[in-house]
Amino acid sequence: MKEIHVADQPWLGLKRTARITLDGIRYRLFRASVTVAVIGVAVAFLMNILSESLIKRGIASSTRDKIAQMRRVYDWSARLTSPGSPESVLTELAGANAEDDIYAEIASMCDFDQATMEAFHLQGRQAITAIRFFTDLDYAKRRSLVHTAAGVQILEYLRVPQNFERMVARLGEMKSIRFPSEMVEFEKFLARWPELKERTESVMVARRRAIAAVSVPLGRRTIQQGLADADGAFGDAVRQAGFVFDKDGVAGEVQEQARQLLDVLRLENTMDGAKCRQVIAQKANVMPADVNVMMMWKYLNSKKFSTRYLATMSEDEIDVEGLTPARLVLLADARQERASLIRAERLTVGAGKGFMGLGERLGWLLFVSLLVCGIGISNAMLMTVTERFTEIATLKCLGALDGFIMLMFVLESSILGIVGGVFGAIVGAIIGLGRMLSSFGLRFADAIPAGDILIAILASVVMGMVLAAVAAVLPSYKAARLAPMEAMRIE
Amino acid sequence: MEEKQQTRPEADIRQDTAAEAASQAPAAESRKEKLASGRVIIRTVHLKKSYIMKDVVTEALRGMDIEIVTGEFISVMGPSGSGKSTFFNMIGALDSPTSGRVFIDEVDVAQLTAEELAYLRCHKIGYIFQSYNLIKYMTALENVTTPMAFGGVQPDEARERGMDLLDLVGLKDRWHHRPVEMSGGQQQRVAIARSLSNQPSVLLCDEPTANLDLHTGQEILDILEKLNTEKNVTIICATHDHRMMDICDRLMWIRDGSIDRIALREDVHIEIGEIGGETE
Repeated sequence: MKEIHVADQPWLGLKRTARITLDGIRYRLFRASVTVAVIGVAVAFLMNILSESLIKRGIASSTRDKIAQMRRVYDWSARLTSPGSPESVLTELAGANAEDDIYAEIASMCDFDQATMEAFHLQGRQAITAIRFFTDLDYAKRRSLVHTAAGVQILEYLRVPQNFERMVARLGEMKSIRFPSEMVEFEKFLARWPELKERTESVMVARRRAIAAVSVPLGRRTIQQGLADADGAFGDAVRQAGFVFDKDGVAGEVQEQARQLLDVLRLENTMDGAKCRQVIAQKANVMPADVNVMMMWKYLNSKKFSTRYLATMSEDEIDVEGLTPARLVLLADARQERASLIRAERLTVGAGKGFMGLGERLGWLLFVSLLVCGIGISNAMLMTVTERFTEIATLKCLGALDGFIMLMFVLESSILGIVGGVFGAIVGAIIGLGRMLSSFGLRFADAIPAGDILIAILASVVMGMVLAAVAAVLPSYKAARLAPMEAMRIE
Repeated sequence: MEEKQQTRPEADIRQDTAAEAASQAPAAESRKEKLASGRVIIRTVHLKKSYIMKDVVTEALRGMDIEIVTGEFISVMGPSGSGKSTFFNMIGALDSPTSGRVFIDEVDVAQLTAEELAYLRCHKIGYIFQSYNLIKYMTALENVTTPMAFGGVQPDEARERGMDLLDLVGLKDRWHHRPVEMSGGQQQRVAIARSLSNQPSVLLCDEPTANLDLHTGQEILDILEKLNTEKNVTIICATHDHRMMDICDRLMWIRDGSIDRIALREDVHIEIGEIGGETE
């Protein structure tokens, strides 16, 4: 017979606990896989939403840049033909920083010194903030505050003292909205409005003069035709007229875009040619009378058809000078890209706002889904623990510590959580990727933020694991604390 | 009852070697000698347990005092609901008494921390249940070695000892089988091997033969008898099985939560018919 003494039971160690746990999971593989499925679906949902919003955000930001770039030729066409409205001048100024070209251009065109320019810049921003505030209100509120005035008229309207007082009084009654600055500040700003107005008008006068100067070298050409020479003599003329038209950066790009634009016009005019129509009608399987420009661009998508089309154009006695099959394909491509960019811009409106860029509705949806799967996992773990009360009691009879029992269950559900999490995160990411690419087009594959998605996958896996582990803590704690016989009695 | 308790030896009498020698020749005289020479391993003092269900208080044990000595084989008998199982849980440190005390090896169970209780269950007591309670996902060998792992035995040594124990119950060649792949009798034999894994001072059997047929039940009883006589393991056995009377040293009857009577095996044999009527 052994010497009798009672000591503390030693701790079994993580490795052997894990082995026993894994054996248990293997034995109950079916039940475990159901739990994994519950966790997997929850995590897949989370990951899907997360990856879609991340991709959307990535596409939105890349689209914004690309569209801004794409519109350069239109911007310059507009600036070289029209001085704009006082409001557009102020918007341009308010949106610019001191380093931007537009800032320097205004300063040099109007001969403003630095102090004047700074004051002008500041006032311009104040004006735009105030105008936006009133413009963004709904119609009823706006009407009660500034009547029917719009744009800079609002500022004119509020300069009448009684209008201003009425506006302040009514705004005070509207509890839900706040004016972006102090009313006193705004009143001071309004007092100085004539100064700002004068400066704005002087900008417009200067621009009008510059446009007149540009129109001489332009002659009878359209502005696009002029810009097709943006890198050459015409560009020099634009610079001489006082516009800041950067030779190294913007000019070359604008020139290329203008040339593309002219070529597009030339090609779209080929629709007048009977043979050209015939060729496309055959390919698109419609009557020649029904052929439209879209069909032509679709037709021009390959080099083979582009070559054939150029030949047909010659047959129709259309000038093909400067056009090559490669150029045609490039134009068709650019056109398609523009179409998909515009589509993408429309689809990603509002992306990247709210919590984690999810937007308010999705954030809430996500929260609810997490709640639901948290309860689902808790239920699964609760069942697993309850149905194993006998086993728990037996293990305790054999000398298992409470900590071992708890660790066993938390470990088990963590393992299930990791497996379900990895599975769900990958499935969710793939579904999200597929959905986004199919709705935006493969063209945006490079706009996908791979690093962010990887982080999101990791986060989802951790989320699944933590959710499962936390859900297992309470039932296993209860089970571990029971006296063995009590646990055995509960069946 | 008082008279019978006087036949029990004093706690400080320790003559283990003598007891072992005595157990080699299981005769009535040597049995008495064994009881007289063993030292007290389990002692209960005014043990009471009541279960509270809503407003009804059920008194399962109404104050039990008993001493069990090392090397003894004692059978506990009694009708269902007599408090037999409750008594078992108390002396096995599986449940806490409402009042009174349980001493296992002169250690008050109520004073122990959770870790010490785990140590006690692991090293001092071996449990054998009516429904075997093997861990389903472990092989026979793993079932036997798990308590050793809890007790801190290294895997290699545990494996070796586990094989020896399986050999002892005649299941050496089935060490890799899971409980579902074994018959009830085999499972119970694995359970016995498991209960012996840390060389416990006491073996607690809760109706070990109740779920088995006559033949396999007899096998289990043979093993228990062998353990008691050859290895001098103290066995406390709750049972309805009358064959148990042939191998035990003492019998104890429980009725309505208190000890009805305790008798030596020889004394009982004469009045077996009468008792049989009483117990069922």
